[in-house]
Amino acid sequence: MQKNALHILLADDDEDDRLFFKDAFEEIKIQTNVSFVHDGMQLMDHLMNTDNKLPDILFLDLNMPKKTGKECLIEIKKTDHLKDIIIAIYSTSSSEEDIEDTFIQGANIYIKKPSDFNTLKKIINEVVTVNWHYHTSGLNRDNFLLRLK
Amino acid sequence: MKWIPNFNSSNSLRVIFVIAVFILLFLSSIAYKHNQDLNESSKLVMHTYEINIQLERLMSAIKDAETGQRGYIITRNARFLTPYIYSRDKVNTSFITLKKLTADNPRQQDNLQKLFKLITQRFVSFENCLKYSNPKTYDKRKLDNHMFGGRILMENIRFKVDEMNDIEKDFLKKRLKIYDSEISLSPLFSISLFLVALSFILLGYRQISRDFERLKIFNKKLLISSGLISESENIGKFSTWQWDLDSDKIDFSDNQFRLLGLEPRSFAPNKATLIKYVHPEDKESVAKAIDGILEKKHLPFVYYKIVRPDFEVRYFKTTGKLVTDQQGSKILLGINFDITDEHLLNIELQERNKELEKSNKELASFNHVASHDLQEPLRKIQTFISRVSSADKEVMSESGKNYITKIESSAKRMRVLIDDLLLFSRTNTTKKEFIKTNLNELLDNTESELAEIIEEKKAVIQRIGKLPKLSVIPYQIEQLFINLIGNSLKYSEPNVEPQISISSEKVNSADYPEILEQSIKKFHKITFTDNGMGFDPQFKETIFILFQRLHSKTDYPGTGIGLAICKKIVENHKGHIVADSTLGKGSIFTVFLPD
Repeated sequence: MQKNALHILLADDDEDDRLFFKDAFEEIKIQTNVSFVHDGMQLMDHLMNTDNKLPDILFLDLNMPKKTGKECLIEIKKTDHLKDIIIAIYSTSSSEEDIEDTFIQGANIYIKKPSDFNTLKKIINEVVTVNWHYHTSGLNRDNFLLRLK
Repeated sequence: MKWIPNFNSSNSLRVIFVIAVFILLFLSSIAYKHNQDLNESSKLVMHTYEINIQLERLMSAIKDAETGQRGYIITRNARFLTPYIYSRDKVNTSFITLKKLTADNPRQQDNLQKLFKLITQRFVSFENCLKYSNPKTYDKRKLDNHMFGGRILMENIRFKVDEMNDIEKDFLKKRLKIYDSEISLSPLFSISLFLVALSFILLGYRQISRDFERLKIFNKKLLISSGLISESENIGKFSTWQWDLDSDKIDFSDNQFRLLGLEPRSFAPNKATLIKYVHPEDKESVAKAIDGILEKKHLPFVYYKIVRPDFEVRYFKTTGKLVTDQQGSKILLGINFDITDEHLLNIELQERNKELEKSNKELASFNHVASHDLQEPLRKIQTFISRVSSADKEVMSESGKNYITKIESSAKRMRVLIDDLLLFSRTNTTKKEFIKTNLNELLDNTESELAEIIEEKKAVIQRIGKLPKLSVIPYQIEQLFINLIGNSLKYSEPNVEPQISISSEKVNSADYPEILEQSIKKFHKITFTDNGMGFDPQFKETIFILFQRLHSKTDYPGTGIGLAICKKIVENHKGHIVADSTLGKGSIFTVFLPD
């Protein structure tokens, strides 16, 4: 593990998705530490454990067992030392309701899981390299859903 | 209570009658007095007449005695003396009668006394005449003296009798005069008074008969309206009750009994019977509502159940108001409605609503399944295919490569299907927020959304005039434009540059009675005309049905959902969409949206 590397955490119960995610990160050649949790409970335990380094960006799947992504999001935003983590919603759903809800709850970006590996790589690249300070200050309902240029 | 007629005439009628009665009383009292006086005067006349007769009798008795005595003196026959002997008794009898008759008149008594003295003297003179005419004691000089003295006495008696008669006559005259002066009503006045009284009574009679006629008419009207009310109560399943708070009397309409499942007038209602038939569960609240009405003067709707004698439960709604009638007594007016049918219908509706809600929820969860669970494996298939690198393909057999391509296109098609299906169900289930929107802006968005394909096909989109500003669900109308223009671009003639013109005009719904909602007066007719390949007009209805396709999948990939979505969107806006076409000459899609 490199010290200055970006710390990325993916919370997703789907093994295949975790695999795609890991492969994509390996291929984009940006210095990152990618770690995984398998459900919402595990995610919250991981974040609450002060021994663990907090992630720079949390990729959060919405449909997870034990605790859903939305519940985690609300809990994180309520917790003082966690509320500044950049949260990228990473979901199969593109329903207006989910997008609206997570925007209101304070997520930073909404990513619809792509059905093409190359697209996934592009998305991850975009998310990791974006200036989050700049993005967050200009965040609105229209640019919340990530669209590749 | 305006409908009660005003019988004010009864007051003036009373006055008229009182006056007439007084006049009649006055007239009859006068008549009575008259009668009384007449009686008195006739008695008086009789009295005078009787005195007169008695005096005459007295006189004739004395005369008889005189005549008899003369006869005796001349003939010396004792038979002539008989009247003389009886005359003394006759005189006495008459005298006693006269004394009685004149008992109330001292003057006459005095005269009578004098008369009596004179008569006594006369009889003394008779005795003397008999004595001196007797041949034994005959004395001519003395006889002459007494005979003359007798004559003078006789004259004095006559004079006295006349005087007494005169006094009586005078008295009679005076009394009659007094009576005459006492009541001096002229017959003319009496008659006119009588006529006035008569006319008053006639006037009263006329008024009474007029009021009576009016009463009859109002009574008839009342009968009709009360009949109508009871009939309408029967038809409308409602009833009324009145509670006179002053006399504490309660009156139920006939239908009230019927609603309670009883024969009309089968019991005398009172305060207890008001809640007697109320379902035990509701008794308390109904009693409270009735108490409340006394304070608040009106009764808000109360809903409760009643139990009929045959244990049938009916649902009631009651309202009421405190009114004051013409006599100033407070009456609580109550209206009961039997709402059992509505209530049961309501329950059924509620159940249906629940079912609908449930099925809506199921639909929503289907949405979720479609959007998430169904897409997930598909997405993975596609991702895994994308992971098959060109290096991997190199080592594959030709058929293997071919299969991979087929899997890829099938997966792609499935994705489109799922996405379209989702879009279709979402046009129905997502919330419909109407916002005043400029449709030109939505068309701009549509063009930029379709920019790639427009450029690729070198299409020309021409706007004839401006689109209106309407209250719409913006993203749905944008979807409508995307689908319609997208369709025109997709089904363009090969090798011909697509031309799409969009025009708008305001129309009256009355001009399209078969297709437009007539309660909305004005519509905007937006027409999309293209020069594409068109379709057989026999399909102009079916193309809007879900999954209906006119072309094979290989020629024109599509799901058969796009136009169904258009139809749904337009219906969401209470509008209408029609299509027309001639094969090879392009199609026209016309959208009507309410103003």
